[in-house]
Amino acid sequence: MISNQGLTMASFEIQMTVNGREVRQPVSPHLRLLDFLREELHWTGSKEGCGAGECGSCSVFVDGVLMKSCLMPVAKAQHTEIETIEGLEEQGKLSVLQQAFQKMGASQCGYCIPGMMMAATAALKTNPHADREEIKERLGGNICRCTGYQKIFDATELARDVMNDKLPTKTLEEETEQESYIGSSSFRLDTSGKVTGALKYAGDMVMPQMLHMQVLRSPFPHAEILEIDTSDAEAMSGVEAVVTCIDVPGIDGFGVFKDDQPVLARDKVRYVGEAVAAVAAEDLITAKDALKRIKVQYKQLPVLTKPEEAIKTGAAIVHDDVPDNIVMHIPIRKGNVEKAMIESDYVIEESYYTQPVEHAYLEPEAGLAYLDSDGTLVIQSPSQNITHHRHKLAKILDMPVNKVRMIMSAVGGGFGGKEDMHYQGILALAVLKCRRPVRYVFTREESIIASAKRHPFSINYQLGLNRDGLIQASRIHMLSDAGAYNCSTEGVMRKAAILGAGPYAIENLMVDAIGVYTNNTPNGAMRTFGAMQSQFATECHLDLCAETLKMDPVELRRINFLRQGDETHTRQKLESVSMLEVFDSALDISQWESGISNSRGATRSDLGLSGNRPPCTLGARQFQHETVSAGQSA
Amino acid sequence: MLYCDHYHVPQTLDEAFDLIQINHDRHKVLAGATDLLPWAREGRAGDVNFEAVIDITKIADLSKWELHGSRVSLGANVTMSQLLNNPFLRKHIPIMAKSAIWFADDQIREQATLAGNLINASPAADSTPPMLAMNAEIILDRKLNGKFMQRKMSLDEFVTGPGKTKLEEGELLTRVICDSMPEYGSAFEKVGHRRSLVISTVCLAALIRLTEDGTKFKDVRLALGGTGPVPVRLHESEACLINQTVETELINKSANLAIKHVNSRTRQDYRREVVFNFVKRGIMEAIKDFNKACTEIKNDIQPGIDHG
Amino acid sequence: MNAPLRKYSRHKRGRGVAAAWYGIARTATIDRAGAWAELDDGGTAKIITGVTEIGEGILTVLAQIAADELGIRPQDVTIGDNDTARSPEAAHAGATRQTYMIGNAVALACREARKRLVKELAHEWEIAEDDINCSNRMVSTVDKSRCITMSEAVDICKNKGVVPVGSGSFTANHTGLDPEDGSGSPWQAYVYGAQVAEVEVDTETGEVQVLGVWASHDVGRAVNPQGVEGQIEGGVVMAVGQTLMEDYKQADGYPSTMNLAKYILPTSLDVPQVTSAIVEDPDPLSPLGVKGIGEPSMIPTAPAIINAIYDAVGVRIHSLPATPEKVLAALRDKQKSADSEEMQAQSF
Repeated sequence: MISNQGLTMASFEIQMTVNGREVRQPVSPHLRLLDFLREELHWTGSKEGCGAGECGSCSVFVDGVLMKSCLMPVAKAQHTEIETIEGLEEQGKLSVLQQAFQKMGASQCGYCIPGMMMAATAALKTNPHADREEIKERLGGNICRCTGYQKIFDATELARDVMNDKLPTKTLEEETEQESYIGSSSFRLDTSGKVTGALKYAGDMVMPQMLHMQVLRSPFPHAEILEIDTSDAEAMSGVEAVVTCIDVPGIDGFGVFKDDQPVLARDKVRYVGEAVAAVAAEDLITAKDALKRIKVQYKQLPVLTKPEEAIKTGAAIVHDDVPDNIVMHIPIRKGNVEKAMIESDYVIEESYYTQPVEHAYLEPEAGLAYLDSDGTLVIQSPSQNITHHRHKLAKILDMPVNKVRMIMSAVGGGFGGKEDMHYQGILALAVLKCRRPVRYVFTREESIIASAKRHPFSINYQLGLNRDGLIQASRIHMLSDAGAYNCSTEGVMRKAAILGAGPYAIENLMVDAIGVYTNNTPNGAMRTFGAMQSQFATECHLDLCAETLKMDPVELRRINFLRQGDETHTRQKLESVSMLEVFDSALDISQWESGISNSRGATRSDLGLSGNRPPCTLGARQFQHETVSAGQSA
Repeated sequence: MLYCDHYHVPQTLDEAFDLIQINHDRHKVLAGATDLLPWAREGRAGDVNFEAVIDITKIADLSKWELHGSRVSLGANVTMSQLLNNPFLRKHIPIMAKSAIWFADDQIREQATLAGNLINASPAADSTPPMLAMNAEIILDRKLNGKFMQRKMSLDEFVTGPGKTKLEEGELLTRVICDSMPEYGSAFEKVGHRRSLVISTVCLAALIRLTEDGTKFKDVRLALGGTGPVPVRLHESEACLINQTVETELINKSANLAIKHVNSRTRQDYRREVVFNFVKRGIMEAIKDFNKACTEIKNDIQPGIDHG
Repeated sequence: MNAPLRKYSRHKRGRGVAAAWYGIARTATIDRAGAWAELDDGGTAKIITGVTEIGEGILTVLAQIAADELGIRPQDVTIGDNDTARSPEAAHAGATRQTYMIGNAVALACREARKRLVKELAHEWEIAEDDINCSNRMVSTVDKSRCITMSEAVDICKNKGVVPVGSGSFTANHTGLDPEDGSGSPWQAYVYGAQVAEVEVDTETGEVQVLGVWASHDVGRAVNPQGVEGQIEGGVVMAVGQTLMEDYKQADGYPSTMNLAKYILPTSLDVPQVTSAIVEDPDPLSPLGVKGIGEPSMIPTAPAIINAIYDAVGVRIHSLPATPEKVLAALRDKQKSADSEEMQAQSF
């Protein structure tokens, strides 16, 4: 019997074969097959990405059938044969499919790859002649966030052809001995660890005496913390430490541009999911149980959720030192916009909106922290910014910088989302309090609510143009939700402002990018850092202008592009501008037919050419000779 | 997480009922587990603790299917994968394969059961509309004081609301019985926000049988999911077609009659339009399926509004 | 007219195009990165830098650069990375900066290490340093009269009491923006991109499928073309997700899409075929001429798709994501306004 503070669980004996080895041991009945493989047997190749069957990082073979091991209570695997990613190598050599993934560069962060590799293996096992569309269907339960899937499809097709002797085995080899390695598609150094599941991510790591941490998070978007009572939790056996903001020895606060976020909520909470307190305990269940015994008294405060409300006078204040709730306002001014608008033949106005977006890296945040023998605090986590985090932590912990050591563990996808130091500080406090290694692994749900998102933008766009399409003036007003903390808002506003008007020569320009605090989930760094939001508006707006001017949208862009020697919107003179060359190249490879949009309909000659995939008609593999409700005609 | 003190894997129904009785209000019956485990997570039910989990998937009696006259009897353990791949099932209830290919993904279909999908009673459950269209009945068994008792009811009656059914404490859904329909043409239409692992915004099951000369509807079965608290059979839409000549105007009328069933909390306008389009399309596709040789119908009747 | 194409179909196709630009490395502030290099026994090399690989393939890129500079192969290079206590600062993984900043730092470090080695050999062979070549794991005189392996060369150097090490620090001189008018030089290197998207719109459900994306990007000198393609394909697909389906929702501050069933991502069945073209306009201000691709690859995709939807069905979606609901509602509005125009026309 395993006893965990009132939760009694009978263990039973499980018997199975894992990667050819007999396993027979007592197991707690609540474990899923994935937990058993990873935590009990330390076959950590299979990953947990979502815990709910939505991502496939945990796919394994159960008696030869591909299954999601996070959806399988371990008891269901009684007397089965399990094969994981670690079992795919053939006599110590990469399988053909693993070699093909290596050859095609099909793994990037590598976190989805164990599951993906199992799914691709299953696909070719089920149908050794599966075509690309069938391969896609069979990989339909496995999400990849890095590669865009294309190289995974390519690799699976390559493996299929090698296995069927349609391509020689040599095709899988690397081209070696070259004059110059710049410009060559060398194999990735990290591939073999990724296609075999050998690479350890932070959540895969264990240390002797390691404790498990869990974090209590705010249930409210905005509330004052009246009291935190941790005494019951601390009294529990198995609990080594409970930490709150009072445990911060130095100057609390972290952020990318401004240190406005406490390690653990101080005096108030500003968004749902904000970390309030944490427990380090002997096992995960005890840590979770202890969280329930921490009593926090909140007094709810008015909630701000819309940036346009937050900037009104009299609105609630999210941070006392920023009474207008404006995190950052970046202006760009050039020429005389008023005058140029009046003189333009056309002034075209429209508003655009982009939504908050989750990074959804397949690896939820995780970290393992410990003290080195010399007292150095070491934190291994998938941090995208170890240098910056080291500085912040030294200040927070009041330790010399060289006594804080950040090691970036293998990163299972970042996209900007792992730039914020939103849990490394908590781990540090726990380690310093209990002087033992502490590990913290986020659930997918925690990762989503606690981490920063892509900033949503509301953009009002005004463009003044002449009849011939030359842009005379541009006025772009961007209002963006920063959420509860600054994170990267300042930088995101700056990039949105600098690049927003697009790669066009514009003499008269007025751009404002304003980021505003609310009580929403914080928004922070995400791939393009504001540039995709602002340029989304620009590029949609140019097509709208082309429609009004009855112009080819290609021509409209072409005559306005920045050219060598032009000044940017921030008045920087450009030495070399490849825009036209790049643009023509895109038109060229797509065999673009020039003309006005939505006027030619199906008669445009460039539809349905090579470079398109067939439209997805799900079930094509099943119902090839039966009716499926889809068809393609342009 | 789903916590339990004991995980039981009964081999017979009898054993299962004994376990249910012993653990009466402290147990959870589980089959595929593909809905239960995601349910017991943060943001949904959170951590859930049962004294006993009773896994019925090893009960051999519940894993069978049989043909009884014109009805097919499906044990509670029949998986989505079997509906998709088993030749017998594909012959007798071909629409289930068309629905199953849209259900989650290859891997989840190996574990997820038809009965589980029905019991969960999600408004968007993909299996419910085709089963409603096939006049499905539910067999509910229980053992009380050593005696076996059985209830039988239509699926329509069984599902009462989102996540709600008439399943009572101590009862097991043991079989699903539906029409065998090899002679029908069928279609399953579904729309969501992506193409794999996708939850239906609207789904429609259509089963059609034409007269021998292919000019009239002999039988029409239509059912809709995702549009309200429970999936519904479209009796009026069916009635307006049965014994009538196959023609566009009538199909439009039938589709129009379906719109009023949109009763969802959100996206009503969208669903109304899609329901109209789906009923028309579903009927057309089922007709095509019924008689693939009948090219005249395809050419004569062009469903849909041309926006282009 | 083309009769078969005019026939009714609920599926409509269209194409759209969009352009984009981006700045390389940290914005409007000086950026820097450091690296150490050592030509090691057996003709191998160690590169030590605080670089943080997040899956994009930067370690491979650095190994290629080091191999190229030192005259060895990428697999001969061992990289010590990602540790603030053991490696020089290379700063963060972001801002499309790693190939540019750390690539150049590694090149500089390798040049110094190589110079140290070559100096000893030049002394040994009594020739000028410029007359020595390192390539293909061989060290030779330009006239090939002498030719030894890199392994032997390292031995000679070490026997002279010199370890061939080097360090490199690379600086990108960016200036801040004027607080009033925003003027300044936020980056020294810019990249440009353009993409074409082809979509199919189902006019009965509003579903949009992106079937093809043709992406052309200036990345400066491309170190690993396959890796560049990987970044383009990944960026395009991430943008397809944002354009068509992804939406992090909150109601009154309470998140409602807190798992991957509610927050949905593109699956293998939702992604376009991507055709990439790499344009190489080398950066003139840095040693290698490399620039970057990680972020800019996803900028043009969303507007190209939105513009393609317009081309296909004549409706403009102004807010992301372009869900089936939004597209169908726009089609309905368009139909209504067309109907009312027709009625007005009739009444006059």
